[in-house]
Amino acid sequence: MAQHKVNYTQDGGLPVALTSIDKIVNWGRSNSLWALTYGLACCGIEMMASGASRYDFDRYGTIFRASPRQSDLMIVAGTLTKKHAEFIKRLYDQMTEPRWVISMGSCANTGGMFNTYATVQGVDRIIPVDLYLPGCAPRPETLQYGVMLLQKKIRANKAGNAQKPKRLM
Amino acid sequence: MRAYTPKDDVQAKAYYTDRYYVAPQVPKSEVETDEVFAADLAAIKARFEVKEAYIQVEQMVIFINPHDIYGVLELMRDELAYTQLSEMSAIDWLAKDNTFEIFYQMLSMTKRKRIRVKFFINNGEAVDSVEKLFRSADWSEREMFDMFGIEANNHPFMKRILMPYDWQGHPLLKSYPLEGDEFAAWYEVDKIYGKEAREAIGPEIRDTARVDRYDSERFARLGFEVPKGTKITGDEPRNSQEYQEEGGVFLIKKYTKEASTIVDDPQR
Amino acid sequence: MAQVKNRLRPFFENITFDREDNELVLNFGPQHPSSHGQLRLMLHLQQEQIVKAHPDIGYLHRGMEKMAENMIYNEFMPTTDRMDYIASSSNNYGFALAVERLIGVEVPRRAKVIRMMLLEINRLMSHLFWLATTALDIGAMTVFLFAFREREYLMDIIEGYCGARLTHAAIRIGGVPLDIQDTFISQLKTFLDKLPQNIKDYEDLLDSNRIWLMRMEEVGVISTEMALSWGCTGPMLRASGVAWDIRKEEPYELYDEVEFNVPFSDKGDNFARYRLYMEEMRESAKILYQTIDMYAKCVKDAETELMAHAPKYISAPKLDIMTQNYSLMQHFVLVTQGMRPPVGEVYVPTESPKGELGFYINSQGGPYPYRLKLRAPSFWHTGILTDLLPGHYIPDVVSIIGTTNIVFGEVDR
Repeated sequence: MAQHKVNYTQDGGLPVALTSIDKIVNWGRSNSLWALTYGLACCGIEMMASGASRYDFDRYGTIFRASPRQSDLMIVAGTLTKKHAEFIKRLYDQMTEPRWVISMGSCANTGGMFNTYATVQGVDRIIPVDLYLPGCAPRPETLQYGVMLLQKKIRANKAGNAQKPKRLM
Repeated sequence: MRAYTPKDDVQAKAYYTDRYYVAPQVPKSEVETDEVFAADLAAIKARFEVKEAYIQVEQMVIFINPHDIYGVLELMRDELAYTQLSEMSAIDWLAKDNTFEIFYQMLSMTKRKRIRVKFFINNGEAVDSVEKLFRSADWSEREMFDMFGIEANNHPFMKRILMPYDWQGHPLLKSYPLEGDEFAAWYEVDKIYGKEAREAIGPEIRDTARVDRYDSERFARLGFEVPKGTKITGDEPRNSQEYQEEGGVFLIKKYTKEASTIVDDPQR
Repeated sequence: MAQVKNRLRPFFENITFDREDNELVLNFGPQHPSSHGQLRLMLHLQQEQIVKAHPDIGYLHRGMEKMAENMIYNEFMPTTDRMDYIASSSNNYGFALAVERLIGVEVPRRAKVIRMMLLEINRLMSHLFWLATTALDIGAMTVFLFAFREREYLMDIIEGYCGARLTHAAIRIGGVPLDIQDTFISQLKTFLDKLPQNIKDYEDLLDSNRIWLMRMEEVGVISTEMALSWGCTGPMLRASGVAWDIRKEEPYELYDEVEFNVPFSDKGDNFARYRLYMEEMRESAKILYQTIDMYAKCVKDAETELMAHAPKYISAPKLDIMTQNYSLMQHFVLVTQGMRPPVGEVYVPTESPKGELGFYINSQGGPYPYRLKLRAPSFWHTGILTDLLPGHYIPDVVSIIGTTNIVFGEVDR
């Protein structure tokens, strides 16, 4: 039998923590944000860099998944063009509730410097966005900070059915 | 009275040009000054009509007849060792004289020389495809069709390449505005949600300098964000930018700035 | 407002099932982790073998050529960063060189040396990134982590120079804006001294790795004729038996003064391309060592000029602008109205990490280019997939896309 070190002076002497359902569910959700790899352009490179050696995204519980059905966070990293717009909607619809969206970089936020015929002027015209990260391209630190703020946002929510699915319209 | 803007060229214009300003020319030199180019030009002239030829910035430019293009490029590839078509595209001169200028940028790796073959076609005419000679022309000609609406005869797959198939208009024409026309503005909304959603989603905001302090939805309230639709009074509290809540987080160690270390040498 | 369903039809409605043959149409992309961006491939399959491939691009078309027609020359410089965003400075350089040839200015020597350093650092960054992503696609996670670690060191150096990690805008028309910082040389030397060992580490992991060899050797063979016909340049062409490097054949900057080799191979398969990237990293390191010496010589000879002197086109140094009336006026005009190059046209090729990056500029004497065509190498390296993929199997697609080293900011512009 495994020997657990139990501090009998804390938590009523038991190796347990008492909490509410909300807190434990939100703890689970916020610390295992599986992100959909949505590298569209330059910001996608910084997203990869934050997943790589120096910035080590895994310590936030953020693992990149290639399938929308396995992920609950979509990091839209890069310029969304009008030709691509329908695919982002498709992939967003395939993600399971609850789902969150981070819009990374100026192009995804507002169209940024590409004020042209071919770019969607902000990804929030297509899907609802939770967090906007400024920068062109934002540094990996910005993305990490953004994920921590998103975790904070998730913790502030009620975990039960009261959480309404987000709709753009 | 509103200032008149010509419909055939809606690109940015210099807002002031000195009336005595005469633009200088990039110097052109005679083809005879370079013997490799002179020999190539003689070989082309023996078979085809060459309207004009000169050397500009170390590259020879020749003007030919539009229907000769396949023959000229075949001659250059097979006999003059210009084995690569680096680039081809068009220039829009519709506002000036209703023509397009087509250029083909050729490279010879053995001679280390580059030649630009050019010709003019009228609006509505098609060019002869050189896809049989250079496979790279396959995509270049499709791009030219996409951007200018110039079709290529005998091309195997003359469809748009960069823009969606159901796009309207040819973006690189001078009559096409940079920010797109009415069709482009609503393209993604119409396609995904339908025309009736236009009102709910709203028009595109193209003015990048616009800052509205009463706007609760966009980015004018950094640090003082409010829920969407809140009425702005001006005395909103500053939002905390901390990573974690004051009282700590369940099951997670509290992050303290004092306990963290700063790495001076990243290459340690 | 109530939820409105979107108008998009499910995927299967787009595919016809009543085909008579056994072909399966497989959609790959445009959002796929190993499509290196937004490549969409429509693959026709017989069992697992591809019989027809139809690359569909344009999912990152942002209208850069149109933007260039509406921007003054200096204003367009940051946009070129976003073309090949793995190696931004090489795009900046290509554009700057094209405009310099157009207006006919000569760049001071010290600026040339700094530019060469930036270009080669960018080449190393690009090749390391290529190695990381391709290895990741094929399943070698360790190499991904190793190569990204080294790339971060280079990014530190670049960041110290221009303040940005990814989008540098580090080169101006007529020179460079700043001298390199104090720690630049020492950091670079530390990095370069470690680099051979690092490259050896990657090679130890990959060269004799059975899985790597099986997915690389004899896969994706491009013949010389095919490479020439499709307009392939750079490593793609050199792996197919043509030793053509613009740095060597049509030297720009000071590439005729430095000593380096142009590695090439006549195999044309994925493995040849992989070996070529590794060798090019070594050559880049060699060039960087020489530029460090050249820079030291510039410092010794007290060559401090960083921008070319051409008052009609290029602003004076900041000190002059702040102290002299005429320089201030000229700077004001150049910033608000833009420079007006002579009437004429120019096509300038440079050797970017991916291949021949060319800028065709047609100027009509105005402050805006009349036509600017970006000749990006990746465009044709994507096109060749049409002819390259048929005959291969589905798993080969990923390794072939990996070794073509395409970047979609450049393909779609």
